[in-house]
Amino acid sequence: MAEKFHTELDNVKNETVVMARFGRAMLRDAVDALVRQDPDLAEGVVARKDEIHTMEVRLEEDCYHLIATGQPMAKDMRTIVCTLKVIAASHRIGRYGKVIAKIVQEISDKPHIARMMSIPHMADLAIGMIDDAIEAYEKDSLRQIAEFPARDDTIDALRHSIFREGITHMMEDPKTITRCTHYIMVARYLERCADHACKIAENVHYMETGERVEIH
Amino acid sequence: MSSDVIIATHDLNLWYNSTHALQSVSMQVKKNNVTALIGPSGCGKSTLLRCFNRLNDLIDHVRVTGEITLDSENIHRPGTDVVSLRKRVGMVFQKPNPFPKSIYENVAYGPRVHGVRDTKELDRIVEESLRHAALWDEVKDRLSDSALSLSGGQQQRLCIARTLAVGPEVILMDEPCSALDPIATAKIENLIDLLKKEYTVIIVTHNMQQAARVSDYTGFMYLGKLIECGKTSQIFEHPNEELTENYITGRFG
Repeated sequence: MAEKFHTELDNVKNETVVMARFGRAMLRDAVDALVRQDPDLAEGVVARKDEIHTMEVRLEEDCYHLIATGQPMAKDMRTIVCTLKVIAASHRIGRYGKVIAKIVQEISDKPHIARMMSIPHMADLAIGMIDDAIEAYEKDSLRQIAEFPARDDTIDALRHSIFREGITHMMEDPKTITRCTHYIMVARYLERCADHACKIAENVHYMETGERVEIH
Repeated sequence: MSSDVIIATHDLNLWYNSTHALQSVSMQVKKNNVTALIGPSGCGKSTLLRCFNRLNDLIDHVRVTGEITLDSENIHRPGTDVVSLRKRVGMVFQKPNPFPKSIYENVAYGPRVHGVRDTKELDRIVEESLRHAALWDEVKDRLSDSALSLSGGQQQRLCIARTLAVGPEVILMDEPCSALDPIATAKIENLIDLLKKEYTVIIVTHNMQQAARVSDYTGFMYLGKLIECGKTSQIFEHPNEELTENYITGRFG
């Protein structure tokens, strides 16, 4: 029975990695749609929200089934707890992708202001953290998340920078208020996505070591 | 040694003939707590349990070295009264084993052997023991019935009452639920939780979930060695030893 349990747990973990990459792809495509002002790509992201929700519900139920039937202990228990957190974080990341895609649909008819400030760069960094958090979870490894505190500090600094720059543009020209407000919101969503990557990293650390850490 | 330790072993070794069944076991059992011993079959957990009231003395060709203390006194020192030791350290076995006597006589037997003759005092002990064993309400109107007429779960609680009747400090339980159905098992587990208020309980169990449910501390044994002993939450959530991890996650055993 233990072998069957571990096979099922491995399957749930593999499918959670698939879901996490699905959520990550929604965010990546939403940012690309924003940069290229591509409403069709944005529409494709919005259309994926039901699919990621279905994945979330199904994988959560798989975890509940493993808990109820396998009564997991030690690393098995920690892996399931971590998996539930990865599922929730991946769903949120996908949903932020959808929200950014909705913004694209609203503002893609006019040219960008100030080349969107640092949003593309910030998106690359945030998505890089998501990639590394997923890989750490997939490979039971702490190497990929070792620098997360410093990387998260960079993300926070970029969000603050975009906020100040946006305010400056809005004060100079009130006609930019709508677009700059959207940029500031996108920066906020990207920061939240990096926070979800940190949450995944914290849980991978717990899964691997049994110890709790907090990444600010 | 801290005052909350009731039983301690130091470098305890036990041989059955040439078989080295316990290898340098050192552990401490805390008062008014439940300590569970887990491990695969043949790892020595029942042997260790039987050391605590010298029940292994009854087996031929057993040799013990090292130290076991009860309240800081070595239980192997010359002149130890083994009967008195087993009064202080009672035992409940895997299968319920009531005497073929009445329910009342099963519980009164121990106090009588230890010299209690007064009927009122015996009545008081019987009622108190049966209440502590959570059996009184089920048997109070049929104390003179044969103990063998009780269900398996009731018989096991009667055996616990019989153990309590002589006023032990420590109760050893060797797989006390393995012959019981889930409902009777749940009653014994609830009882163990109540008993620790007044007694110290050491339980051997194959059932890891049971150990996780009922115990405060857990020791994992493997091939005669105590691999790891610590708080139950730590052992089951993040054990320090890879062997423990592999056992409790079902990778062997």
